[in-house]
Amino acid sequence: MNRKIAAELEKKAGHIRRQILDMCVEAGTGHVTSSFSCVEVLVALYHGGIMRFNPADPKWEERDRFILSKGQASPVLYAILADVGFFPQKALGSFCKADGMFGVHLQCDVPGVEITAGSLGHGLGIGAGMAYAARMDNKNHMIFTLLGDGECHEGSIWESAMFAGHHQLSNLIAIIDRNQLCVTDFTENCVRLNPLDRKWEAFGWQTAVIDGHSFADIFSALGEVRSRQDSPLVVIANTVKGKGVSFMENAALWHGIAPKGEQAEMAKMELKRGAS
Amino acid sequence: MNRISQRDAFFDRLYEIARKDRDIILVSADMGAPSLDKFRKDLASQYLCVGIAEQNMITVATGLTLSGKKVYTYAIMPFATLRCYEITRVDLSIMNLPITIIGVGAGFSYDDSGPTHHSTEDITAMRALPNMTILNAADSTMAAAFADLSYQAAGPSYVRLDRQVLPTIYDQRTDFSGGSIQHKTGKDITIIATGNMVHNALEIANKLEEQSIQAGVIDLYRLKPINAELLLKQIGDSQRVATLEEHFLDGGMGSAVIEVLVDNDVAIPVKRFGIRDRYYYAYGGRSNIQSLCRLDVNSVTQDILRLGISTEPEELKITR
Repeated sequence: MNRKIAAELEKKAGHIRRQILDMCVEAGTGHVTSSFSCVEVLVALYHGGIMRFNPADPKWEERDRFILSKGQASPVLYAILADVGFFPQKALGSFCKADGMFGVHLQCDVPGVEITAGSLGHGLGIGAGMAYAARMDNKNHMIFTLLGDGECHEGSIWESAMFAGHHQLSNLIAIIDRNQLCVTDFTENCVRLNPLDRKWEAFGWQTAVIDGHSFADIFSALGEVRSRQDSPLVVIANTVKGKGVSFMENAALWHGIAPKGEQAEMAKMELKRGAS
Repeated sequence: MNRISQRDAFFDRLYEIARKDRDIILVSADMGAPSLDKFRKDLASQYLCVGIAEQNMITVATGLTLSGKKVYTYAIMPFATLRCYEITRVDLSIMNLPITIIGVGAGFSYDDSGPTHHSTEDITAMRALPNMTILNAADSTMAAAFADLSYQAAGPSYVRLDRQVLPTIYDQRTDFSGGSIQHKTGKDITIIATGNMVHNALEIANKLEEQSIQAGVIDLYRLKPINAELLLKQIGDSQRVATLEEHFLDGGMGSAVIEVLVDNDVAIPVKRFGIRDRYYYAYGGRSNIQSLCRLDVNSVTQDILRLGISTEPEELKITR
């Protein structure tokens, strides 16, 4: 892809990470690391021109649907929705505040948000239902669903994967934020998910395994999805939980925790350095 | 007498509605019914079988609904409700989506199938969910009317259908919009029953009358939201209330009735009849299981007689 565009998107990703950190530090809560691992994927979808949407008309019928199934990563989606104009930026400052419009987990009454999530294992089936309905009605919008890898321990994911594979829902794209960590441990220590791509293949999905922090990789997998046929697509995006702040990366300890005091300042410094 | 099952009555009516509204989708967890064969054949694009996968049934229904479809889900009752309960909580109740869950097999109606298939907790579980409307059918006329009521609902609905063919007690002109229907008034006791137990209640009231006890009967078919004003009016000046349900007592219909009474400062003795906190591996038909848990007509009649109801007129009591 064009280097200039990649540089712009990387700059945007840095900006979104800083906003996520500010939101969560100010609130004293929020899933920072789960949000950091999927920043590039969401920036590519919303700022990179992959998805069709209209901030002035959030319920525009022809919009592509984005379902954040791992609803604990709400800060990344809220920061991006504010950035593209679904609601004012100042709403981010009242994350988890009494006068705010949203809290830790995703809620469906926020402009640009499709579903309430936070409980895992819902989003893929909802996406499959949307994809099925779109096909019934000859609509050509796409449905993108972002799943956590720990979320793939939920049995409901595999019920829905089987359904979507059977119905060859080629308008359904699942992206797995494969940061290797569930809540308390690495997924492979907890309950083994690998070989994850072959599992999805066996359920009738086309698979792509990418570096989820590389815009070139993301666009190679998602850039030309509208003409797809015959099967749903799963993109396994290898990512780093807590990406961007060294002491939060790959550490189960930081799940669902916002840094405080000195650590918050260190995190801000690291993100600032990364941007320069 | 109409000998159609509640399920067939419901689906026959839904078929008529779905022929006119092509946005209606019926999502089944691999459950059939004679009346469904017609639906599947004539309205193939409006029928979707997800396999024995109730969680996916609810999430797919949610996605369809968020895309403008009017969705009904269908499975045996414990699986339609409890297997996917948390998904229903988030997707239907929290998001307040107008999806109708159709459960078949109220109470012991899957009698010989054993406790896995008995539905004895679903009222408790489903009435805990905000936004949910719960409709419990006593006969096939009512079941057919529930297809219309759920079609018009703005939020989620749960329709309880009996598996067995029960006698018809309502005619086509009955108005099912109120939430409860009074069959008889009784100054001594009013039996509030739901579902198949309405039939037992009517028999019990006749038996009590032979013992000079005037017993009223109310069919409380909308278990959530309960129309408290109408229910209290129907109870009227009755001296006592008995509740009768083929469901666990904990949190069931009887509990809901007591909540209505307490919340409205109505101090009146209440006796609840239902299943007492245990499962039954018992065979030989529904009536046998009902006898074991003292929900059959004779047992309930005897237990009401043991309450020591005074049938003396009030003025005699005062002068005594």
